[in-house]
Amino acid sequence: MRIGSPELALLVLALPFASFLAIGLIRPLRRRGRPAAAVSILAMAGAFLTAGAMSWQGIPVARGLNPAVLWSWLPADGGPMASVGVWVDGMAMQMCVLVTLVSLLVQVYSWSYLADEPPPSLGRYYAYQSLFAFSMLGLVLSPGFLQMFVFWELVGLCSYLLIGYWYDRPSAAQAAVKAFWITKLGDLGFVAGIVMLWSGTGTFDFWPLFQAAEGGALHVDGLTTIMFLIYLGAVGKSAQFPLHVWLPDAMEGPTPVSALIHAATMVTAGVYMVARAYPLFALVPSVLTLIAWVGAFTALLAATMACVERDIKRVLAYSTVSQLGYMMAANGAGAPEAAFQHLTTHGVFKALLFLGAGIVIHHFHTNDVFRMGGLFGQRPWVGGSFLVATLALAGVWPLPGFFSKEAVLAGVLHAHLSVPFLMLLATSFLTAFYMFRVVFLAFFGHAPVHHEHPEPPVAMDAVCRALAVLTLALGLRAAVASHHVEGPAWLPWISLTWAFAGIALAWATYQAGRLDPARLAAAFAPIDFLARRRYFLDDIYGGTYRLLLLGLSRVVGWVDRYVVDGVLNALSAGALRAGDALRRIQTGQPQDYVYGVALGVLLLLVWAQLG
Amino acid sequence: MTETLGFWVAAVVLVAASLAVVLTPNLFHAVLWLAAALVATGGVFLLLDSPFLFGVQLLLYAGGVVTIVVFAIMLTERLVGESIRQTSRFVFNGAVLAAAVFVGILGFLLQAGAVTRPAAVGDQLGDLGRALVGPFAAPLQLLGVLLVIALLGALYFARAED
Amino acid sequence: MPLHAYLVLAALVFVIGLFGVLTRRNAVGILLGIELMLNAVNINLVAFSRFRADLAGLIFTLFTIAITVAEVAVGLAIVIVIFRVRRTIEADHLDLLRG
Repeated sequence: MRIGSPELALLVLALPFASFLAIGLIRPLRRRGRPAAAVSILAMAGAFLTAGAMSWQGIPVARGLNPAVLWSWLPADGGPMASVGVWVDGMAMQMCVLVTLVSLLVQVYSWSYLADEPPPSLGRYYAYQSLFAFSMLGLVLSPGFLQMFVFWELVGLCSYLLIGYWYDRPSAAQAAVKAFWITKLGDLGFVAGIVMLWSGTGTFDFWPLFQAAEGGALHVDGLTTIMFLIYLGAVGKSAQFPLHVWLPDAMEGPTPVSALIHAATMVTAGVYMVARAYPLFALVPSVLTLIAWVGAFTALLAATMACVERDIKRVLAYSTVSQLGYMMAANGAGAPEAAFQHLTTHGVFKALLFLGAGIVIHHFHTNDVFRMGGLFGQRPWVGGSFLVATLALAGVWPLPGFFSKEAVLAGVLHAHLSVPFLMLLATSFLTAFYMFRVVFLAFFGHAPVHHEHPEPPVAMDAVCRALAVLTLALGLRAAVASHHVEGPAWLPWISLTWAFAGIALAWATYQAGRLDPARLAAAFAPIDFLARRRYFLDDIYGGTYRLLLLGLSRVVGWVDRYVVDGVLNALSAGALRAGDALRRIQTGQPQDYVYGVALGVLLLLVWAQLG
Repeated sequence: MTETLGFWVAAVVLVAASLAVVLTPNLFHAVLWLAAALVATGGVFLLLDSPFLFGVQLLLYAGGVVTIVVFAIMLTERLVGESIRQTSRFVFNGAVLAAAVFVGILGFLLQAGAVTRPAAVGDQLGDLGRALVGPFAAPLQLLGVLLVIALLGALYFARAED
Repeated sequence: MPLHAYLVLAALVFVIGLFGVLTRRNAVGILLGIELMLNAVNINLVAFSRFRADLAGLIFTLFTIAITVAEVAVGLAIVIVIFRVRRTIEADHLDLLRG
């Protein structure tokens, strides 16, 4: 276990926050757009360097040392109710590096991607970006559940703001609201869980909780319920079944925002939280099993939906849901290290995939993969970068996805969860298939119509190349280090076989033309039918929403119209009539008022007499 | 004995003059009746062993107030160009209400017990003077301020429009 | 004479003044009614002061007289202004207080 310098951690937090404040409060800076972007990018670069230095400097310590620096918060009788601070262990530092790196690259990329935006909007965008990075870093460095919840909600708010960045588009506004509400559904469980945990133990802080949990001294009634409720928060944030429906819609935001949400912030928060609180989850095996099953099921379900999607960004969105399922399954199988490893590697290559997809969309002026083709020949660098990321996602040696997936699979197998293991294996086959379906359709084959294709802007291109190099480097490092994964020797071979089988099927269907896609779909008719309709989940939610909310509002509306308004109308009519009667005595002549005074005196006299 | 006689004389004059004030149609006559009523009140003060207040009443009220009112009436009459006749409105209503209030007050008075009259104090005026510059000094100063303000206000209101 | 005699006399003058205030149409007439009412109050104050051997009543009477003078001065000034503006001091026609 390593810990880093808390001062540097505070600096990492302070830089994006200062940038947010500067852009948010200094109106001319925000309205001019470009300077705001420069401020934000510089702050982010500083934060990235600081996070790197912090990680580099981290000193190994014995396990029993508290990695948190705390300040008391919420003073109450008998000591503070909660504390704030920073928690800088190895996982937090690694996560800080990932978040700052992806945020930095996304912000640089956005500089070109959003070049046509009006300056005030651009300033707003970078203010949100800075706040988003700050919120996610705060969440990562949280030393307790309460602070984590605060930043958790801030992350949700920022994703709402960024998904709805083009708020004048109805679909974007709707997607933002959907993302907000569905994640809030999970957050209800989260907040209830941490409050129950607090009432049972009297603290929100991780350190005393973990100490007690590992020492077997944590005795809380209904811990299973509490941990299940906390897990619900992760279900919403990390888009687990059945709350995954918001993530594909979140594609309505600008593509760099999707990259940020999918790679480093927002969706990873749930996985990170479960991995962080693993010592507590370890006490409740039933919840862990549930997490593993739900994760594996989510992975498989999302993968089938990705296979039939035509929109390149939605394919990537479903692949994110699917990979989040992987991570959660690893968490549930008792291998949070594997989950975290997959989180970081996935963060890098998923950012690359989204940013590459941004260039692809920019190139073809469409999201539909069936109207693309032949990009590899025209833009070999873009194609190469995208291909590297795709191979990484498919889990091909020696790319980082291979190692982290293997770790996940080994963890699940080790926990004797055979059905989830098979589901994850099937998912890895489907992952390879749907990703190479996109690659073959968009990068090979023939371009349907020849447009005037602009050269991709330098910044966007450079960011993609940097990420591709980083992906390769991560994979090679893992290969050289020959990190030993606990698992049977056949595991890497079987996962590789499945991956190549998926690639081969995609090649045969979409590149070589050996198989007719329609016949392939017919072979899996029921699944195809359901996947194309997204398993009717959106319809079910919509129906439930209509039934419950609209029904309720109709009842409320009736009550309002006839009961509340009726009473009010009667009252106001009475008041009007009384006013009409009363205004007659307002003659405006002082003497008539003297009559009133004299009558009042008389009344007082009589009253005093009677009393 | 002289006191009883004096009281009845003063009381009859006071009530009669008061009634004349509120009933006579001629405004100028009403002011003169008011002067009579004020002088009669001064008489009541004398009966109550307050010769100083009697003096004040004569100087300020009967002298000052009545003079001001007469000035005002003559001014408005000159402006309107004719002698002002005043009429009354709702005489019956007013009489009933006034009588009712009188009965109400009377009801209170009848409940109270009799109070014996203490012996007259020798140097009332000296005590009054000492009280005015002693415990009542601040209200006296405030009163001076009030008079100045009233004077300025009256001047401001009644100034010629230019 | 007992205290009650003075108090009843004062009450009588007071209600006569009230009657004047209630019934007079002329603004100056109303003012005269108010003078009568204040006068009645003065009688009360002096009578109580005499019968309770308390000087405060006399001092209050002095104050009342002074304030009354001020009030008359201001009141008449207002009457004159009203007359200049509206060409009448008939209270019946003065209904600016009406909302």
